[in-house]
Amino acid sequence: MKKLITLLLCTFVLLLGGCGGSDKPQKTAADGQEQVLNLFSWADNFSPKVLEDFEKKYHCKINYDVFANNEELLAKIQAGGSRYDVIQPSDYMVATMTKLNLLEELDHSALDNTKNILPALQHPAYDPQGRYSVVYTWGVTGIVYNKKYVKTLPASWNDLWNPAYKGRVILLNDSREVLGMALKKNGYSVNSKDKAELEKAVQDLRKLSPSVLAYDTDTIKQKFIAEEAWIGTMWSGDASFAHKDNKDLAFVIPKEGAVIWADTFAIPKGARHKDLAQKFINYLYDPKVSAANYEYIGYNDPNAKAESYHSEAFNNDPMLKAAKDYISKGEWIEDIGEALTMYDRYWTELKTGK
Amino acid sequence: MNKNGKFLIAPTLLWLTVFFVVPMLIVVAVSFASRTPYGQVVFNWTLHNYGRFLEPLYLSIFGQTLVVAFVTTVVTVLMGYPLAYYIAQLPKRWQQPGLILCMIPFWINFLIRSYAWVIILRAQGVLNTLLIKAGLIGQPLQLLYNEGAVMLGMVYALLPFMILPIYVSIEQLDHRLLEAASDLGAKPLTAFRKITLPLTMPGVAAGTILVFISSLGMFVVPDVMGGAKSALVGNLIQNQFLSARDWPFGSALSIMLAVLSLVLIILYYRTLQIQKGGADNAKDVA
Repeated sequence: MKKLITLLLCTFVLLLGGCGGSDKPQKTAADGQEQVLNLFSWADNFSPKVLEDFEKKYHCKINYDVFANNEELLAKIQAGGSRYDVIQPSDYMVATMTKLNLLEELDHSALDNTKNILPALQHPAYDPQGRYSVVYTWGVTGIVYNKKYVKTLPASWNDLWNPAYKGRVILLNDSREVLGMALKKNGYSVNSKDKAELEKAVQDLRKLSPSVLAYDTDTIKQKFIAEEAWIGTMWSGDASFAHKDNKDLAFVIPKEGAVIWADTFAIPKGARHKDLAQKFINYLYDPKVSAANYEYIGYNDPNAKAESYHSEAFNNDPMLKAAKDYISKGEWIEDIGEALTMYDRYWTELKTGK
Repeated sequence: MNKNGKFLIAPTLLWLTVFFVVPMLIVVAVSFASRTPYGQVVFNWTLHNYGRFLEPLYLSIFGQTLVVAFVTTVVTVLMGYPLAYYIAQLPKRWQQPGLILCMIPFWINFLIRSYAWVIILRAQGVLNTLLIKAGLIGQPLQLLYNEGAVMLGMVYALLPFMILPIYVSIEQLDHRLLEAASDLGAKPLTAFRKITLPLTMPGVAAGTILVFISSLGMFVVPDVMGGAKSALVGNLIQNQFLSARDWPFGSALSIMLAVLSLVLIILYYRTLQIQKGGADNAKDVA
């Protein structure tokens, strides 16, 4: 009996240990004939069909590893990024990686199709000349609300503070997004390093926190679909997703302005298959390919020439449209360097109610 | 120890060195380092991170975490002891199935079980729907995203860690002692208080340590069931690595958590030993 219990206890500990990731990109082509493209990206970020087609067309094999957040990506690339050929850092992470000299300069002569990218996304603040990155998925963080419960159309971030929504507000579980929202509400930059401006933003958020049902990024869609929440901050792409399952949801970009964000393609320094990597990036901006790809992903297509290949439902999606109309006005979240520690401190204060 | 013995434990020692000692030393080293503006670690041997730990903001998070861990432990003892006792009293052939029933939930990943709780407890969830249909409530109750939900999740996750060690100690109890007590005129409750409880304390102690330590580091439950509204040490540490990009501070916090756990365990065992010494003396006198 005692043995059984010891065994069971050991199993518990192992099971409770949680989740680790596999970490074994193939170093070189398996048989010298077939090249391998080591892709390091977010989970479920491509149409599997599109990847398959690329493998067939270029006689290669795609080795798709996933990361769950930018910090994990950064840590792995710093530990030896040349194992990967294509990576997908978000906007501010491109800036960080550029400063840390971790990215290869892209050869735009081999990336003809990237000219198809919407002009407004060609010169983002984190990489103004597009030397190291091209925009892949993008969106705007706005207000999502349920028309059943929110009767007056929200127009301003201030509407989140409406006492009628007490206990029904959800904010993204992300310090930069939430503090950025409160900064924006007061007319400041989302990248402010000014202590007084941040103090003001935090004070406002403290007043909001009794109204907050939860902070959530990963399952925020479910909370809105199940109508646990009535109003909150959400990415346009996620809002489009949630809207498909609950038609009462609507999305608006507040008048004070909002954050625009993007996940990009980049090539880490010393990538072993840079040629193939560029072919891959180029392939994905072929209008037909990107139409097929973004229909699957459900996020805004950055490809200006893809519209005619998309379904009507995709082109008329109100959430994606709202983001697209706003595209040139959004403010990018930038790497704020030293000030990140200050943001984290305010964030911790907010969570502890201090 | 003979040569064969050394040979036999070599793999274990190697395992512990590679996967425990070395990583631990790395964490210690990083905790004395600094962060560059872009989040890189530079080794300049500073106590800065430990200084930050002493700020009231972070101390209060440690305090809050201790309170949650303490309450979780007390609740699991109160719930786990009767259950373990009940299983130990069952006929032999029902004991094993009883234990296995306690463990079956562990066949499913903990994260999934946490989300299952969300589905049960949320506003339009299973429980609220049932209560509304039964006419017991008019409006859905807010069962999730509060401290109660966090506590429920913690107790749910850790209860088996309490049941198993207590069960073992109850099962090992010498029943002749209870018979003797009964022969000498002790009522069942007195016998339980004077014999069963003191003799099963090692099981309670083991369970307490397992539950207390595990709950100190919990970060999934506050995130999923608590709506990420409160910050426990586990969440604070997670944030340092995943958003603040401040590995040195995260490492220092981890070390402080480990040290704190160790000190508490030592104190706890000391207290138990003194009590046990007292109990033994009492037995001698009797």
